[in-house]
Amino acid sequence: MLEARELTKRYEGKADRPALDRLNLHIPGGEAFCLLGPNGAGKTTTVNLFLNFIAPTSGQALVGGVDSAREPLEARRRLAYIPETVMLYGALTGLENLEYFTEISGGRRLARAELLALLGEAGLAEEAAFRRVSGYSKGMRQKVGVAVALARRAQALLLDEPTSGLDPLAANEFAALVEKLRKQGMAILMVTHDLFLAKQCGTRIGVMQAGRLVSVFGADDVDHLGLERAYLEQFRGAAA
Amino acid sequence: MSEIVVAKAPATQAPAGRWRVARAVALKEWAELRRDSRLAWLFGLVFLLMLGALAFGAAQHMRLDRERAAAAATDRALWTGQGAKNPHAAAHFGQYAFKPQSPLALADPGVDAYVGEAVWLEAHKQNEAQFRAARDAGVGARLGGLSFAFVLQTIMPLVAVLLGFAGFAGERERGTLRQLMSLGASPVDILAGKALAALGALSVLLIPAFAAAVLATLFLADHDFSVADQLERLLALSFGYGLYLAGFVFLALGVSAFAKSTRTALVLLLAFWLANCFLAPRVMTDVAKRVATLPTALEFRNAIAEDKKKTFGHDESHPAFVAFRDGVLAQYGVSRIEDLPVNFRGLALRKDDENGFVIFDKHFGALQAGFDAQDRLRAAPGFLFPALAMQPFSTSFSGTDSWHQYDFATAAEAHRRRIQTAASEDLIHNARYGDAAYVASRDMWERIPSFDYAAPAVSFALSHARGDLVALALWAVLTAALAGFAARRLRPL
Repeated sequence: MLEARELTKRYEGKADRPALDRLNLHIPGGEAFCLLGPNGAGKTTTVNLFLNFIAPTSGQALVGGVDSAREPLEARRRLAYIPETVMLYGALTGLENLEYFTEISGGRRLARAELLALLGEAGLAEEAAFRRVSGYSKGMRQKVGVAVALARRAQALLLDEPTSGLDPLAANEFAALVEKLRKQGMAILMVTHDLFLAKQCGTRIGVMQAGRLVSVFGADDVDHLGLERAYLEQFRGAAA
Repeated sequence: MSEIVVAKAPATQAPAGRWRVARAVALKEWAELRRDSRLAWLFGLVFLLMLGALAFGAAQHMRLDRERAAAAATDRALWTGQGAKNPHAAAHFGQYAFKPQSPLALADPGVDAYVGEAVWLEAHKQNEAQFRAARDAGVGARLGGLSFAFVLQTIMPLVAVLLGFAGFAGERERGTLRQLMSLGASPVDILAGKALAALGALSVLLIPAFAAAVLATLFLADHDFSVADQLERLLALSFGYGLYLAGFVFLALGVSAFAKSTRTALVLLLAFWLANCFLAPRVMTDVAKRVATLPTALEFRNAIAEDKKKTFGHDESHPAFVAFRDGVLAQYGVSRIEDLPVNFRGLALRKDDENGFVIFDKHFGALQAGFDAQDRLRAAPGFLFPALAMQPFSTSFSGTDSWHQYDFATAAEAHRRRIQTAASEDLIHNARYGDAAYVASRDMWERIPSFDYAAPAVSFALSHARGDLVALALWAVLTAALAGFAARRLRPL
């Protein structure tokens, strides 16, 4: 479902090393692949390439077989995306934001009750749905983002540090949701620094360093301590 | 989180139709605009400015109408009350032709204040209009007064810039553009929605203001101007201003899509606004004056006087006079002026007037052609700096441009010629040659009608503003293309 073929990104003015170096990755439906790695390792670059927010220098990022660089709109239509902080329109209510994003997404026009149900499923209290987003906490914004992703019924989900800044309870709820979506057959690529979240949600875990995917574990093949050790080794390597 | 029921994933959602995306974006933008109190204040202020300008224009219009009517009545009384007099002396006594003010001058006073409101009609001379309102105004008048056209041409583009500069750059800064673009909607459809919202917001200001202008025009229209014609002109003005402002909306959104930040977008757009509204009109006026030079007032009068020397006037020793006299005698088969069956003095006056008509037509026509060449040169870059096209378009359809003034001056001159011809004809047929005591009665002055000017129809305005209309359309198309190009290249990061 999500596939990277020799995917490379080299930023102008930073010719010494590519931000992403010949990444090969295949995430079929029903799998959650968690990408770990220090800042600047190329994790977010990978997500941005799948969204075609940046153009690849070489290689391909495929979503359901669609090359995101050649057909970015078609590729995006197959994706849902939740960034580190879901940015919404502050002057609109949570419900209006969801209504807006689902209208833009296409598909069947959802009734108000259905939209409220989606927000409820994402964990947002009904009274909050009618308040302007400018007064929302980060967690509440993330929940609206989740509701948008749910409404889109996408084939694949890209998550870029989605629980960063969330309290443990909200992070745990989020992990449960990701697990549920994976079981529904969605292909999930999640970028995170949270080892516990990666272990909880991922079916496979990859560690990146300096633009390269340096190791991949099956989530069941490694315990938390082993994962932490492997991660810290890469961190130290990057620092050195 | 509560239990989640997620529909089976694999089928890709059908993409939203173009109209659905544009509509959703427009409604969202509209909701944001309505909830922004700063914008409500701005709109309130601009709306008050427009109504104030219209009210001021209407008051000015009514005052000038009253003054014109009173002056015309006084002048008519003087004309008809001049008593028994030689017709040619009456022609020298003269009368005024007053220009009826176009009702739409309340929206755009154009050149009216600078070209004069009345023409003195007298024997042997075609005069330029006089009584220029600008002369009576203080030094401050040089800065230009507040008019509806000023608000539309200068303030409204600024409102369009403020509505559009953050359209994409603001979303990029806030991070919502990433969210929006991840949904797979076409950036061009998003652009269309944003443009719809901004144009809708401008319409909120413009529609009531134009409705007020329609009411004021209906109220001010009198027998000199057809109401239907004025409404057609207003419709054309709405269309022209629509193109002008739509271009600013597209430009603002295009620059916003290109710019890295809202600050950059705003600075670039304000620089363009300054160049368009203040610099380009002045620079192009100077360029036009230097390239298409016109004679000074003195040179113009001297050139006419030079040509007039070739005609005989009252000089009976002038070779042209002698030639004319001999020709008339031969035509009637007599050898003495006294033997002619008609009054030779009347014939000579009529002939001299006819000679003068040709000279005046030549010089005033060339002067107007010079004005027109300057106007066309000034408006040439109107597709890049649309104020250069909007200003002449607006004055043309408001009936206050130099062509409407020329039409009035031409009509006034035609009236003068009717008076001259009537006076000469009366002499020819009723007076005896050499009878200095001959006088015509008051009855004759009353037979000569007052000057009654029929202003030209909207087609006249269109024929002179066609180039400006093309420039405005080109401006709107070019800016729309720029915005479309920028939207296609849009990146959310």
